[in-house]
Amino acid sequence: MPSLKLENVAKHFGGLKAVDKVSMEVPPGEITGLIGPNGAGKSTVVNMISGVLALTEGDITVDGVSVATDRADIVARKGVARTFQNIRLLPEATVLDNVMIGFHRREEAGVLAQMLGLPAARRDTKRFEEKAWDLLRRFRMEDFAEYEAGNLAYGHQRRVEMMRAIAAEPDIVLLDEPVAGMNDVESDELATIFRELADSGMGLLLIEHNVGFVTRLCKKVYVLDSGRMIASGDPEAVVRDPQVVAAYIGTSGH
Amino acid sequence: MIQFYYAYQPIIDFFLLSVGFGYSQQIALRAGVFSIATAGFAALGSYCVAILATKTGVPIFLTVILGTALAAAVGGLLALPLARLRGAFQAIATLAFVQIILSLLLYGEGFTGGALGIVGIPREVNTWILLIVVGLTMYVMWNIGRSGMGRVFNALRQEESVASSLGVNIGKYHIIAFIISGAVGGLFGGLQSLYTFQIEPHNYGFAFIVNVLTVVILGGRTTLLGPIMGALIMAILPEIARPLAEYRQAVNGVILILVITFLPNGVGDEIVFWFRRRKQARQQQHRASEKEARDAVS
Amino acid sequence: MLSQQILNGLVSGSVYALFSLGFTLIFGVQKLLNFAHGATFMAGAFIAYYCTISGLPFLLAIGFSMLATGLIAILIDLIAFRTLRNRGNAEFPALVSSIGVDLILVSIAQQVSKTQVLNFPFGTFPIKFYDLFGLRISLLQIVILAVVAVLVAALIFYLRKTTFGRQVRAVATNERAAALLGVNAQSVYLQTFFIAGALAGLAGVLIGLLFNSIQFLMGEPYMLRAFVVVVIGGLGSVQGAIVASLLLGVTQSLAVAYLPSGLTDAIIFGLLFLVLLVRPNGLFGDINAVAGGTRQ
Ligand SMILES: Nc1ncnc2c1ncn2[C@@H]1O[C@H](COP(=O)(O)OP(=O)(O)O)[C@@H](O)[C@H]1O
Ligand SMILES: [Mg+2]
Repeated sequence: MPSLKLENVAKHFGGLKAVDKVSMEVPPGEITGLIGPNGAGKSTVVNMISGVLALTEGDITVDGVSVATDRADIVARKGVARTFQNIRLLPEATVLDNVMIGFHRREEAGVLAQMLGLPAARRDTKRFEEKAWDLLRRFRMEDFAEYEAGNLAYGHQRRVEMMRAIAAEPDIVLLDEPVAGMNDVESDELATIFRELADSGMGLLLIEHNVGFVTRLCKKVYVLDSGRMIASGDPEAVVRDPQVVAAYIGTSGH
Repeated sequence: MIQFYYAYQPIIDFFLLSVGFGYSQQIALRAGVFSIATAGFAALGSYCVAILATKTGVPIFLTVILGTALAAAVGGLLALPLARLRGAFQAIATLAFVQIILSLLLYGEGFTGGALGIVGIPREVNTWILLIVVGLTMYVMWNIGRSGMGRVFNALRQEESVASSLGVNIGKYHIIAFIISGAVGGLFGGLQSLYTFQIEPHNYGFAFIVNVLTVVILGGRTTLLGPIMGALIMAILPEIARPLAEYRQAVNGVILILVITFLPNGVGDEIVFWFRRRKQARQQQHRASEKEARDAVS
Repeated sequence: MLSQQILNGLVSGSVYALFSLGFTLIFGVQKLLNFAHGATFMAGAFIAYYCTISGLPFLLAIGFSMLATGLIAILIDLIAFRTLRNRGNAEFPALVSSIGVDLILVSIAQQVSKTQVLNFPFGTFPIKFYDLFGLRISLLQIVILAVVAVLVAALIFYLRKTTFGRQVRAVATNERAAALLGVNAQSVYLQTFFIAGALAGLAGVLIGLLFNSIQFLMGEPYMLRAFVVVVIGGLGSVQGAIVASLLLGVTQSLAVAYLPSGLTDAIIFGLLFLVLLVRPNGLFGDINAVAGGTRQ
């Protein structure tokens, strides 16, 4: 399983150094944490990895190969999936259909086969449907399969995003505040799923405000503040780091 | 039945052609592309067929295939420059495309007959042929809707960034949507010219654009039923609104405004959605009662 | 006569500017394409015509026509745009409903004129020609150039220097932020629509005079030309629209004079296409036309 590496990555918006010379690694089979106060540059990091934003400096590699200038869909095809901090669902589609689109890069039937309704296309759809139901059950969403995604409660919408991201079994998943707005029971449920995913070999990058949640789950944590990496390493040690404590004072870190 | 057919044959044929053009328009909108290029594709198909059928000995069947292929190819090429544009700019660019086609048709007099167009096109198409081709088109559209391509189109329409985060090559799927839109537009354009005896550039101007858009807006932009309902309303309306015949365009305008404002999904889509919701409610009820039964046992 | 063609081109270009300014203003403020703008233009010519033949002095007829088309444009906003705008994501629905308004206006005009071509009565405007450095220029052409220059200058002053102008720009940049600053977006919309409609109406009268012909479909080609203008000038850009209009007028008059007839439209719309390809935001535009797919 490949590993994701950032080397001296920077993103400047005009004069603002949203991300400044950041290096980090998301190894397979582990949950890696990325924390930092609001506006620290966490989402910008995700957007650069996933191909939405161009890098100002530095390099990003997957399995040793640079993806720094790849388009978003190509990054995805190389096995890097993501969720969005501000939830983005297909509002008119059902929950099931929202998950189904996640399987896109596993499609085997060609365009013509799909247009003519050849068996290959039907096999794809059937296979994805089965897998989608597995996911729905795993996230305890099967009762909502036929709901329009736009009408779901917030916590449920987050789960749909997550199912969609992991549907095609990516190597790396970037989770941008996946449990924001959830209660403890819900986030514990998801924590279990995150662990299972990591145990199956996936590399997870978990972005969170809640320091406790991150320290419980992650093997290694990186801390961003104003675009700079101010600490990294063992979560227990990192949260005691005076610089990190200072960065979090007066912010909403629980 | 037979009498009904003879009395209403022109309306039925008009309806079938509208359905065909409607699918050409719909597939673009469905993929989130604000294209109004269908008029241009129809003109290409229709002129290709008319010229080949009146000036060469190419078999009629083949002329339609060639017209379809030409419009599809132009559609694919058109998608390339349009790849970077979105929304209003796509609409304007495709409108310009239609204008370019029309003015070339006017200009190439020796070939296209200029403003007078082409006359004496063999009348090879009848209701049954139209019916079969509409049926085949619907079959393809149905398959698209149930396949990965349909899912991608839905995703592109609703949230492009999500689609690309899942590995969808947006440019590629825009090209596919344009090729299909071009092929269907060209196909029905070709059939139209083999049906009407005479064609001229004017047939594919602003009025055509508006009519095709109306079919899809009234009917719906995402379901198979959409263009059928839209074309049906467009075909029947003049019959019902006979007293307002002189103000037919105004009536169309009022309907467009009312539908887009108060029934934005269109009549056909709304019907399909209604049935879908009812089915969902039933399934939910079913599951709930099953659960109750299980809980009662344990 | 190259310079004569350029002069004629500048005259028609200045009318394009009058017409396109309102269109681009509405787009700048609302990000919506008003397809009924061409019909508003046609309505201007019609109203002035019927006022004139019912005996109103010509200047009064023009004033009345501008007032009426301004109000028509406000009606367009209320009927076709407002509900859709409040629902959000109105780009495509608004295009459709403004086509609906276009159909209604054109259909009414067709019935009123019984599909006839109308002409202003002889002598509505004095026909006089002058020699200017060897160029032939009519009184009407001079008046058109002068009127357009004055109106455009007034509009730019209005947008740049007055409170209304600041409000327009605030709403154009960010409606919600503008609302927080106490700008009433609805009132800004009504004013922009009124100005846009009145300018289009006047353009209709001027074109009706210039070609001495008024008919219910006359808005269509101007609508299409407005697309060319706003794309080349950059949708939403006032200065861009003016430069692009003059450019279009001159290009067109040269193409008519020196190229095979019938190719003019192909060239103009080909130009539009080319600009979209090379500079999708227009030559002067600052609105982002491009989205998705690429790293930004
Ligand atoms: N597209 C953008 N243009 C300009 N500034 C941006 C953009 N995206 C983010 N920023 C700025 O970059 C900084 C980091 O933002 P972000 O990565 O969203 O922080 P976080 O996710 O850690 O809360 C913020 O100051 C934000 O305002
Ligand atoms: Mg963030």
